[in-house]
Amino acid sequence: MKMVKINLKTLKNRVQKEVEKALDLKELDEIFKKYLGKRGEITRILRSLEKLPKAKRVKIGREANELKNFLREKMEQKKSSFVKTTEDKEEWLDITAPGQKLALGHLHPLTQVQRKVEEIFQTMGFSVVEGPDMETEWYNFDALNIPKDHPARDLWDTFYLKNGLLLRTHTSPVQVRYMEKNNPPLRIIVPGNVFRHEATDSSHEFQLYQVEGLMVDKKVSVANFKAIIGEFFRRFFRNDIKFRLRPDYFPFTEPSFDIGISCLVCGGKGCLVCKGTGWVEMAGAGMVHPNVFKNAGLIPNPPAGGWQGWAFGFGLDRLAMMKYKINDIRLFRSGDLRFLNQF
Amino acid sequence: MVFSYNWLQSFFKKKLPPPKELAVLLTVHFAEVEEIRKEGKDFALDIDVKPSRAGDCFSHLGIAREISAITGLIYRSSTSIIRENKNIKAKDFVRVEVKDKNACPRYTARVVTDVKVFPSPKWIRERLKVCGLRPINNIVDIANYGMLETGQPLHAFDGEKLAGKKIIVRFAKKREKIVTLDEEKYDLNEDILVIADEKKPVAIAGIKGGKLPEIDNKTKIVVLESANFNPKVIRKGSKTIDLKTDASWRFEHGIDPNLTEIGINRAAFLIQKIAKGKIAKGLIDFYPQKPPTKIFFEAKRIKLDLDYVERLLGIKIPLKEIKNILKRLEFGIAEVRPQHLLVEVPTLRLDISIPEDLIEEIGRIYGYQKIKAVFPVSALVPPKRNFNIFWEDLTKNILKEASFTEVYNYSFVSEKDISIYQLDQPKSALIEVENPISLEQEYLRPSLIPNLLKNVAKNQKNFREIRIFELGKIFQAPRTEKRMLTGLITRTLAKGEDETLVSSPTGDAFYQMKGVIDLLLQKLGISNIWYDEYQPTPEDYNPPTTSSHSPSGELAPSKLSIWNPKICAEIKVNHEEIGFLGETSQKILGDLKIEGKVVVFDIDFEKLQRLSSEETIYQPISRFPAAVRDIAVLVPLEIRVEEVLNKIETAGGILVKDVDLFDIYEGEEIPGGKKNLAFHIIYQAEDRTLSSKEIDEIQQKIIKTLEENPEWQVRK
Repeated sequence: MKMVKINLKTLKNRVQKEVEKALDLKELDEIFKKYLGKRGEITRILRSLEKLPKAKRVKIGREANELKNFLREKMEQKKSSFVKTTEDKEEWLDITAPGQKLALGHLHPLTQVQRKVEEIFQTMGFSVVEGPDMETEWYNFDALNIPKDHPARDLWDTFYLKNGLLLRTHTSPVQVRYMEKNNPPLRIIVPGNVFRHEATDSSHEFQLYQVEGLMVDKKVSVANFKAIIGEFFRRFFRNDIKFRLRPDYFPFTEPSFDIGISCLVCGGKGCLVCKGTGWVEMAGAGMVHPNVFKNAGLIPNPPAGGWQGWAFGFGLDRLAMMKYKINDIRLFRSGDLRFLNQF
Repeated sequence: MVFSYNWLQSFFKKKLPPPKELAVLLTVHFAEVEEIRKEGKDFALDIDVKPSRAGDCFSHLGIAREISAITGLIYRSSTSIIRENKNIKAKDFVRVEVKDKNACPRYTARVVTDVKVFPSPKWIRERLKVCGLRPINNIVDIANYGMLETGQPLHAFDGEKLAGKKIIVRFAKKREKIVTLDEEKYDLNEDILVIADEKKPVAIAGIKGGKLPEIDNKTKIVVLESANFNPKVIRKGSKTIDLKTDASWRFEHGIDPNLTEIGINRAAFLIQKIAKGKIAKGLIDFYPQKPPTKIFFEAKRIKLDLDYVERLLGIKIPLKEIKNILKRLEFGIAEVRPQHLLVEVPTLRLDISIPEDLIEEIGRIYGYQKIKAVFPVSALVPPKRNFNIFWEDLTKNILKEASFTEVYNYSFVSEKDISIYQLDQPKSALIEVENPISLEQEYLRPSLIPNLLKNVAKNQKNFREIRIFELGKIFQAPRTEKRMLTGLITRTLAKGEDETLVSSPTGDAFYQMKGVIDLLLQKLGISNIWYDEYQPTPEDYNPPTTSSHSPSGELAPSKLSIWNPKICAEIKVNHEEIGFLGETSQKILGDLKIEGKVVVFDIDFEKLQRLSSEETIYQPISRFPAAVRDIAVLVPLEIRVEEVLNKIETAGGILVKDVDLFDIYEGEEIPGGKKNLAFHIIYQAEDRTLSSKEIDEIQQKIIKTLEENPEWQVRK
């Protein structure tokens, strides 16, 4: 019986060596058959156990079983090493080949810019309100202190409609519409379409998207306007942007100014975009004219217990052009997917 | 308006800042200098003088005054010392009669005799050229020079050519005509003010001189006109005959009547000096509203509250500086009190009438750049939520996620667009543009579809499959505007692809789009969506007006002309139609040269928004597994999927969690006139694991129910 014991030990060594030497699955399979198959050596040993006395039977049986398990384990390990090598070969991937293109949708750049503008002003307490595209002469002109038969009206080339209305030339009518129904203090911005009766080229368009701003309270000043508009430009463009106010004329504001930002294309050195001045006009603004307050049913001029405030208006198209460096304003309404798919 | 740098310099003893620096100063404190051009030894400055400053700054003198106020340099206006010849009397040469003093509040004239007409001296010619005027002869040039210097339009007549030695300011008579200096012929009417002699019009008042009394080489006697006309009259006249001139432009903005005297004396002085003329005695002056004496002259006085200056600008400017700025701009200060100033406005400054106007003057000269930014102190009122924009944003995001690209189109359509769609409605349902720039803008769009289809036509050469949408306003007569949400998918045939496959009964693109709408509505929190066969109902012809400003009773476009009548459906929520879905008719695609198929949805966004809801309620996930059984039914072609689905759901009862159609097949191996519908049926209970016996029983029940119809056959 000592034989058997030696047999088991040498058997284990032998089998282990053979398994390690095996080169492929087929050889491994043969080793399996040789030892663990129906007529395999280990199988035979296990079968022969029944002839032994009980005590030995238990001991050798346990050892043979251990060997059997050991062998199975070794073979599994070897087997998986084969699989791994084949994987390594077949699963090589050319990572430089292009990724799969997903079908993506795109939001219009004006929508994206509008959202950004709304977000910035909303965080500063401005509500977003709207008004109609078709306006009356009263709201578009008279209420804004632009009298009939006055050359100031020529500043706004207008589309007139056969239903007696006109297409608003600016979002400013909403100032009056809103103040008629809401008492100050108030802070609003008004995004929307505006229309200009003029020929188009790369920087002129007959339909534009504008944002109006209005803040009315007892003490809002030019200094306050500079703070709010400066904050807006910094958040919309970048932190180091410069801007300036210079005199301008709008019948519905007094004083009136134009707001320019340092040209983002040349950094203020002067280029084609800023016509060599280093500045780009971005918006018109000013302190709300007392007549506008009166026309909206409010009392102007705080010494008399009334209101004062400022308003501004800028073109989203222009803002988007500056932000994305778009060189032709007509692209926005071209419906050209080669343009739109870039956003 | 263009100004000569040398001319501006001529008002100052000290040297002006160089042109570029001067331009920056003017831009920052007055008005934008749009261009600086070198012209020989001079520079032309193109300044965008705003209409509010037409009264005083459409002139070199006015700009010089501004430069003086900005820089503090002292300016001196040019001399015009008149030496009248006592032996010659102006009234012997011409008599002035003004018929309408409202149209012509002031008319001054001077007579200069013995003039010699020849080309003007070089300095005048050069200055005029820099300002864009063509030199003609000394007399005409001096009249123009006087205008560019003082802002007062001037005109010179040949005194010997005025019939009856008369100047009559009156409105033109019917069928009167005039030939102007540039040989253009104009038909006049009763709205147009003219200067006439005894016989006929010799000039269009305030706009252009006539050929008749033109100054020529032989002219000896010059009658100079310096008048003030009613801005509205000149504006109307200029529009009627469609003629804008340097003079009409100034008059229609309004100028100070006191300026006529300054202008005419400056011109007479120069004629005397340059053309060697003799100035006849007497200024002919029709000025009925002239104040009796200079002392009583009623200058405007404005009370300027100093506290208000600070509160409006947001900075405290020392009183001394405020006074200084006002004085440099030639305002008078009649009274100084601790709380306020009483400011006298020069008559030239027609633009100044309220304290805010003065505050602007102070602010701009002081310099807006010196005002420090200060955040406002305000009540912490949170902004109101804008639901229109909230739902628009959400909708756009959903469609973007469904791989649609957003477009913005113009709010206009052309007559041609309208005709393509054969909108059966009367034209009166459309809103017509009174003054379109081109044929593209004749009407406001009654639908978003025409422009979206044009987008397809434009893009199809670059893109085979197009998925676009727009959320924008449409317009309906008489005065309605409302938001629509419209989108489309195209399916263009690839080479060798069979048309019959693309437009197969499964209608690929149609179902894709239906899936998009289901997704959209579901994400907007809308349930109870269903699709109805298109039936013309009164509603189609009477669009409900949701966000309208006035109700509309007009007809809507006939749907049949736009859609393929066999592949279209009404989108309904509960009992309300909210939109339409379908394939665009082949005829329209043909007209627009679009290849392939286009499936469009057109949804009333006002209704959609009203139905939308942010509420989402979590449905607990069952802890028990679901089981899937498939079933395939052979049914006649005309049977709707919905009918089969309903049967399965009814027979299945509560344990049927979901039924998915995963295949529709007809063709080979399927008997003619039939189609095969294949479904996954998902079984699940909330409280237990279903046994296969239980499931089989329900499945059998479903099969039995389906087969109650002898024409239906469940394939086993």
